[in-house]
Amino acid sequence: MRKYWELMKSQIKLDSAYTIWYWSGTASTILRVFVIYAFWSAVYDNRVEITGIPLSTMLTYVVLATLLSNYSAGVGYELANRVRNGEVAIELMRPYDLMHKLVALDLGTKITSSVRNTLPIIILSFIFIGINLPHTWFAGPLSILSAIIGVFIGAQLDMIIGILAFWVFYIWGLRILRNAILLFFSGALLPISLFPDWLQTVSTFLPFQSIVYVPVAIYTGQITGSDIYFSILMQLVWLVVIFGIIRLLWSFALRRVTIFGG
Amino acid sequence: MVRYARLYWEFFKMHIKVMMEYRIDFLIGILSVFLIQGTSIFFVAIVFDHIEALHGWTFYQILFIYGIAQTGRALEFIFFDNLWVLGQNYIRPGQFDRILIRPVNPLFHVLADRVQADGVGQVLMGLIVLITAMVNLPIEWGISELLLLVLMIVSSGAIFMAVNLFFASLSFWIVDSIPIMGAVFTLSDFTRYPMSIYNRSVKFVLTWLIPYGFTAFYPATLFIENSEYTMIGLLSPVVAIISVTIAYQVWKKGLKAFSSTGS
Repeated sequence: MRKYWELMKSQIKLDSAYTIWYWSGTASTILRVFVIYAFWSAVYDNRVEITGIPLSTMLTYVVLATLLSNYSAGVGYELANRVRNGEVAIELMRPYDLMHKLVALDLGTKITSSVRNTLPIIILSFIFIGINLPHTWFAGPLSILSAIIGVFIGAQLDMIIGILAFWVFYIWGLRILRNAILLFFSGALLPISLFPDWLQTVSTFLPFQSIVYVPVAIYTGQITGSDIYFSILMQLVWLVVIFGIIRLLWSFALRRVTIFGG
Repeated sequence: MVRYARLYWEFFKMHIKVMMEYRIDFLIGILSVFLIQGTSIFFVAIVFDHIEALHGWTFYQILFIYGIAQTGRALEFIFFDNLWVLGQNYIRPGQFDRILIRPVNPLFHVLADRVQADGVGQVLMGLIVLITAMVNLPIEWGISELLLLVLMIVSSGAIFMAVNLFFASLSFWIVDSIPIMGAVFTLSDFTRYPMSIYNRSVKFVLTWLIPYGFTAFYPATLFIENSEYTMIGLLSPVVAIISVTIAYQVWKKGLKAFSSTGS
């Protein structure tokens, strides 16, 4: 555990060193929040609610979902690059589990950006857009818990891209494909409860809504009461299932490394 | 000019050969770009399931704006995408020195080094969106309207290119400007929707400072009746020429200021 902790800290230091990346990243997030604000305000003009959701709740949802969706990807692309340029062979010889190492680095990046980027923007959104507080006092901590599980699910799912790199050459295309699926089915663009019914049903059977929709909907009160516990339980089930699948795929992939001699 | 055209063709043939070598990857690229563009359309469609108009603009009018932006951006994406990695792939690793000693215009060389075939997916999606909108809007489409539309789309692509060239050129001073380019590019999100939903300062920035407004919204209003922006839409090609000129001047200034990283 200790070595992964150190790896995570080194990543935090690395990320803090690039100020121009930091400011540009923050600027683009603020701009995106601004577009969202203008768009949804226009959608609501002359209208009090859409499917029972008032403007302030909708803004709270879309702003938080946009911020949270920054965390939905992981280090699949990193892994894929390492597979492509052959570094993976050396990584595998080192005294740590590569998957755990990558997760630790990813956590480092996410911790840095949540403190330096997301938190200030949430505070700005409270002041300037007037987003709501959590639906109930209890929904606050539960949504944070749910968000953390969601981040882990996203990070694990992303590993699939890295593992696919053992078979597919063009990882950039895979990354865009992953972005498209996540953007849509995670609920990053709008609450899944606005989807047409058939699509909502499809979405319940997919792990993606656990990444953004579930935590944010708990916060805004689209998911309430005992449904909250059920949703979090489902998230945990997904996390375990995906973790299992990834490990299985990884062992297949590793066999491939040995076949080709690294 | 002829020499450059012939040179570009030679580069182009090489890119096609590479693509044919990795056919599956080529298809993944096109499919994924197609899908990611589709998500935005689907998003707008779902929103319009619940409302009739956005600030007085109908679904098909918004599709039309979007279609122009997508097709224009796709043209830029296919032919000028290499500007994004000017810092990362050329200046930082010292590769730019290699280009400087060759007997061609360095900008031409950087651009010719890559053709983004994935852009085909974006062109397809752009055209589907555009044609769906064109069929459903009450506009008479004659030859002159179509030619005007093509001119507008080309101007849109040129403006996307000019903005990227301007900010990519900053790499000559700060080694890698890709994060700045990314942040500026986020601004183009604004142009997917009618600009009347934004306040005056945003409109000013997107019209006169970073002219993304001319990549979609203003040209689209030319074809939509009773909109208050018609005259400004006609300026798009002029804005495109001015932007490209300014960006190229900055590029040339950058070239003069450039000193190798030495790595």
